[in-house]
Amino acid sequence: MTDIFQSERAPEPPTVEHDLSGPFAAAIRATRMAMIVTDPHQADNPIIFANDAFLKLTGYPHDEVIGRNCRFLQGPDTDPVQADRVREAIAKGEDAVVDILNYRKDGSSFWNALHVSPVRDKAGEVAYFFASQLDVSDSKRLASERDDVRDRLEAAVADRTHELTLALDQKTALLHEVDHRVKNNLQLISSLLLLQNRRVTDPAVKASLRGMLERVSAIATVHRRLFQSDDVERFDVSAFVRDLVSDMVGSARRDDVKVQLDLERVDVAAAKAAPLALVISELFSNALRHAFPIGHSGEIFVGITRTDDDLRIEIADNGVGLENSASSGGFGLTIVQLLCQQLKARSETTPAEPGTRVVVHMPVDGGHH
Amino acid sequence: MNGRPLDVLIVEDEVLLAAELEFLLDEVGYHTVGHAMSSDEAMAMANDLHPDLALVDVHLRDGPTGVEVARRIHDDCGGVALFMTANLKRLPDDFAGACGVIGKPYSSHGVRTALSYLSACLRDGRAPGQPPIGLELAPAYATRWGVPAMPRAV
Repeated sequence: MTDIFQSERAPEPPTVEHDLSGPFAAAIRATRMAMIVTDPHQADNPIIFANDAFLKLTGYPHDEVIGRNCRFLQGPDTDPVQADRVREAIAKGEDAVVDILNYRKDGSSFWNALHVSPVRDKAGEVAYFFASQLDVSDSKRLASERDDVRDRLEAAVADRTHELTLALDQKTALLHEVDHRVKNNLQLISSLLLLQNRRVTDPAVKASLRGMLERVSAIATVHRRLFQSDDVERFDVSAFVRDLVSDMVGSARRDDVKVQLDLERVDVAAAKAAPLALVISELFSNALRHAFPIGHSGEIFVGITRTDDDLRIEIADNGVGLENSASSGGFGLTIVQLLCQQLKARSETTPAEPGTRVVVHMPVDGGHH
Repeated sequence: MNGRPLDVLIVEDEVLLAAELEFLLDEVGYHTVGHAMSSDEAMAMANDLHPDLALVDVHLRDGPTGVEVARRIHDDCGGVALFMTANLKRLPDDFAGACGVIGKPYSSHGVRTALSYLSACLRDGRAPGQPPIGLELAPAYATRWGVPAMPRAV
């Protein structure tokens, strides 16, 4: 607004001409923008002109304004830094634009968007200072309220974040506690089976207990693996097979049976981990226990590969073959059949000349690792 | 094993686990000198019986005091502790002076191979190679026994 005013004033600067009575000065008197003119050539740069808007804004009558330096508008809470900026600009003959807290005659305060500019004569010397005042209390108050709202919102967000962090910590602690209990209970179940196995003498009962122990161990291996990784949602099948095979061959004390692994890393959903682990455990146990009668050495191959959405598990031995094995088929194979149904997997058993090959295909989702 | 069987103290609050573990230790030629279920019992037995090896669960009858038991067995009794716990995340980085940890649920085979590996380490002052699956060594013992450092699994 001041700029427009100045550009209008430019062709005929009234103050330089000492003309405060012409049509231009009449316009200044009448405008709603508070305006004053000061004379730096008089002592203490007094106000020599003030329009009606200025008098209305400040509440002072005309005769209490003219002849005074405009610092009388300052009061107890006026920021001295802003006042100094105005004073320094005037001393240097420069423009000053500040928001400053000023006081009316009745002592009430208002935020003044003050714009001070030097007015130069034809020789370029500062003849007057022209100042416009705009009451910006409302926008200042709005800005202050906006800041308050923002501060409150930020505090609320910080509180909520803190609460959520605590809740997450509690949830993590609970998960660890549950994980811990699951593992301890699996250990307890294993110990029970082992203790009973020490008591019984019937070979058929011992074999049954040993089979159950292997199944519990397979599930235990799943749980050891599942919570080792950062992602408790996914289960690394190949890492599991490596652990399982090492443990089963070691437990069976069959150093004469070599194991060859060809394992591609494939992750499956954690929910499928236990059934899949049981299938693999049954098939590997079958190969280990039944393909190689005592004294018959050989090799078992375990391969894990993935093509598109198909997980392929191959377990092949070069042992005595299905028809010659002492396998009862029984419960172990039933488990495999049932779990394959559950996993939407299919298994094929074929002679491997020599030995037996079992291939399981299972659909998997998600990207390749 | 060479020489006299190692004396082992079992510190475990689950009696069935301890009973089976004692059978297993006996099978592989260790001598179980005692079974403690709380930290007080563990410290009393460690002081009286001077076991070569203490198998220590983190959670005992009086709370998660196994870590402190391992530290005192190491600091005060000069014994070697081995954690056997499902609570791997509760173990401090220095393993409280213990030589390592067997994570639960363990298998009999896992415990057998881990103990036979540790016996060789304790006897020779050198590891016969990388630790077997299921056994994680404390960094200080891995260094002492000349095992290349492995990143912690948990």
